[in-house]
Amino acid sequence: MQHPPADTPRPWAAVYREVGIVPELPPLSHPNLGAFIHDACTRWARESKAKAAFTCVVPNGMNGSLGFAQVDELSDYFAAYLREVLGLHVGDRVAVQMPNGLSYPVVVFGILKAGCVLVNTNPLYTPAEMVHQYKDAGVKALVLIDMFADKLPSVLAMTTVKHVVLAGVPEFFPTIPKLIIRGVQKVWAQVLPPVTVPHTRLAAALAQGRAALQKAGGRVHAQNYWKAIQPHELALLQYTGGTTGVSKGAMISHSNLLHNVQQMLAMGGTHMEPGKECVLTALPIYHIFAFTANLLGFLAIGAQNILIPSPRPVQNLQRAVENYPITWMTGVNTLYNGLLNEEWFVAYPPRKLKASIAGGTSLHSAVAKRWREVTQTPIAEGYGLTETSPVVSFNPLHGEPRLGSIGIPAPGTDIRLVGEDGQDVSAGQAGEIYVRGPQVMQGYWHQPAETAEVLRDGWLATGDVAEMDEKGFMHIVDRKKDMILVSGFNVYPNEIEDVIAQMDAVLEVAVVGTPDEKTGEAVRAYVVHNPEHEGALQADAVIAHCRKFLAPYKVPKSIVIREELPKTAVGKVLRKNLKAEVKAEWQAQLKASLQH
Amino acid sequence: MLTEFETQLLGLMMMVIMLGMGASLTHRDFLIAFRKPKGVLVGLACQYGIMPFLGFTLAMLLNFPPALAVGLILMGCMPGGTTSNIFAYFSKGVLALSIMMTSISTLVALVAVPALLAFYTGAAGIGSEFAVPASNVAQVLVVLLVPTIIGMVTRKLNPNIGATMELIGSFMGIFVILFLIVTWVPRNHMLLAATPFSVYFAVIGLGLIGMALGFWLARLLRQDRSRSRTIALETGIQNGPLAVLIVTLTFTGTMQQDVLLIPVLYSLFIVITSTFVTLAFRRIADREALARDQAKTGSVLQAGR
Repeated sequence: MQHPPADTPRPWAAVYREVGIVPELPPLSHPNLGAFIHDACTRWARESKAKAAFTCVVPNGMNGSLGFAQVDELSDYFAAYLREVLGLHVGDRVAVQMPNGLSYPVVVFGILKAGCVLVNTNPLYTPAEMVHQYKDAGVKALVLIDMFADKLPSVLAMTTVKHVVLAGVPEFFPTIPKLIIRGVQKVWAQVLPPVTVPHTRLAAALAQGRAALQKAGGRVHAQNYWKAIQPHELALLQYTGGTTGVSKGAMISHSNLLHNVQQMLAMGGTHMEPGKECVLTALPIYHIFAFTANLLGFLAIGAQNILIPSPRPVQNLQRAVENYPITWMTGVNTLYNGLLNEEWFVAYPPRKLKASIAGGTSLHSAVAKRWREVTQTPIAEGYGLTETSPVVSFNPLHGEPRLGSIGIPAPGTDIRLVGEDGQDVSAGQAGEIYVRGPQVMQGYWHQPAETAEVLRDGWLATGDVAEMDEKGFMHIVDRKKDMILVSGFNVYPNEIEDVIAQMDAVLEVAVVGTPDEKTGEAVRAYVVHNPEHEGALQADAVIAHCRKFLAPYKVPKSIVIREELPKTAVGKVLRKNLKAEVKAEWQAQLKASLQH
Repeated sequence: MLTEFETQLLGLMMMVIMLGMGASLTHRDFLIAFRKPKGVLVGLACQYGIMPFLGFTLAMLLNFPPALAVGLILMGCMPGGTTSNIFAYFSKGVLALSIMMTSISTLVALVAVPALLAFYTGAAGIGSEFAVPASNVAQVLVVLLVPTIIGMVTRKLNPNIGATMELIGSFMGIFVILFLIVTWVPRNHMLLAATPFSVYFAVIGLGLIGMALGFWLARLLRQDRSRSRTIALETGIQNGPLAVLIVTLTFTGTMQQDVLLIPVLYSLFIVITSTFVTLAFRRIADREALARDQAKTGSVLQAGR
């Protein structure tokens, strides 16, 4: 790779001026997230107009809330639990595997205050996926939602996890709704399995932490946990497949997250009134987008955060939208499209809504247009990666929306577009996006080779190919990496192929993405029957096999059985050809449907 | 017949049910339903067009004596029962439509029930000693509508209390029917043994034939299969306990006992028939969903989710 110019041009500076975005980031107000969280909670407990810091709303409208002061206090106790009771040290990894709920901020803030490293994990992960992630990260403690406690025995046996804390969906709810929800979960829906391994319930953990803190001199002692933590130290290990598909932990520092929060607030600041906002968090916090934007970003401005444990079906959001004065939303195309198809939403869109952001996957222009019409508010598409904490670029909320663009880079970010030859492309040409900025990760955890592949001289190669116009607006043209985006979640063909190849009945497999109305893209597997194997190859059997080892969003939506797969002279499967077939098939379908 | 205490208890339970029904609604739900009034109108046509006529026809065809005829016609004129919502949910139907139809038919009942009752009892040539005064119907309904409004207001002010009320209301819906059966059946087992087959046919038929007619009318009026199944359940399931309350308010002694027979038997049997119909509807709904998934791409082997 050629040595990049030290001073990279920023043609989007003019747009900043036009829409009122401050181009330079202020110096960090806090050296680490512990200090940031404590300060924000203290300030906003006094000043925020919000009715609560966090409110969790279940589909029937039952809800529970925590105030800023409460969250601060409870997270202090959890930090004390980790450091004093469990004896964890700064830098030890603690995994959190829960849907959105009141436990999430309490636990996460506690982990960050304790100086431990958070490992966000999808609660729908199968034991196999959990084992891979926890072993790789060397996780010592796990906070898990009680609904999936049955996965524990197989996982604990194979990893370094020594301590398990269980939390429930209605944690911190008022007594009667809590009892009713637990009753329904246990007796009616039967989703609370018996727990057979040693564990501590969150309430007990917090009580123990509180006692330990009191012995050590009261709550003020908690500040010692994060006092010495430097900005460059690790805050988060966020697992992703990157460009190659092998799941690895992006090392995100305190500085990365604090800067990205600043960048996000700089881009959206024109539509935010500190202390007066109410954000709807339907996206999962374990995904980097909602983690940085909703959990941290809106905490910084003292907003009320409405947490939705299960946004599917989208009808589950109805009570939350009806009962709370939502001013901001973050979402992915699937969510916005889903809401626009609900009669109750279109008839009564949230009256106080100011703006919405879309990320994770590209926002269809038809959906964006309809959203603007129905809500009479701007919706801005953004772009980012796990490896960039995540925000890289954003469409400004003011002015004419640029259809299909991922916007201009956030303040403090440098962008280069690099061609196949490793040189910067000439103006107007497409090239791979390289990012430099305070939000770029430190590297992949224990993967020096993989890190060296993408991170060089402070520049991160994203694997996405884009064009940039004269004003600095970018358009994604192609994806270098063989990745499928299912509702904003990264799915890597390699991983799926590895799982399917384990089947005796399968000789070869190739996985590609197909367009999907609902989720943007869907997973399709082309399989070849193994002639040595006795029985026939059934599509249902492949799906069932996948379900055992893969989280639901990774399971293929369609299976195609073939006699053989297209290959190169050397025998490497040509996914390109299969992708071209899919493209042709969809174009033919479109033509056929237009003719009717 | 029911004792004073049992009647009061029944009234109280009905109020709790209505409280729950109110708590499941917002004024927006009504406004949304009226944006597309067709669904509501189809529901009302089934509820107050088909059912009273069906009750009347069965009473005439089966040659019922006045006490039984009044009971059957009264049952036909009742608004939808709140248990229909539970069955709509389990049959994978359109719950919002079911709730709307039950609520609106209950509100409209204030005017519709006395009018239809007077019309059909007149047409059946039933004597004035069996007449149900409009004021009695109105009295019961107003008492029940007040809790509905309280429920709606509570839900708006405090979603936790509202949701709890909604849940208790739904349980009470089933409980009230069990209560009726437990208090009434043991005392009247002699009467039940002597009850002719035609009465059993009438109470079961009112439900089943009502469901069938409701389904076909809905399909005729271009409602899709899922909505039509919901409308079918909504049509066939009448508010039995409401009829019981009206009867205990209007009649006394052996007259009350005679007229009570059909509402109580109807309440018992409708739960049984609804359960079977719901299970069948559920299976059909699953099959339709699978067929829809498979129809999406023809050339490729699709795996249902």
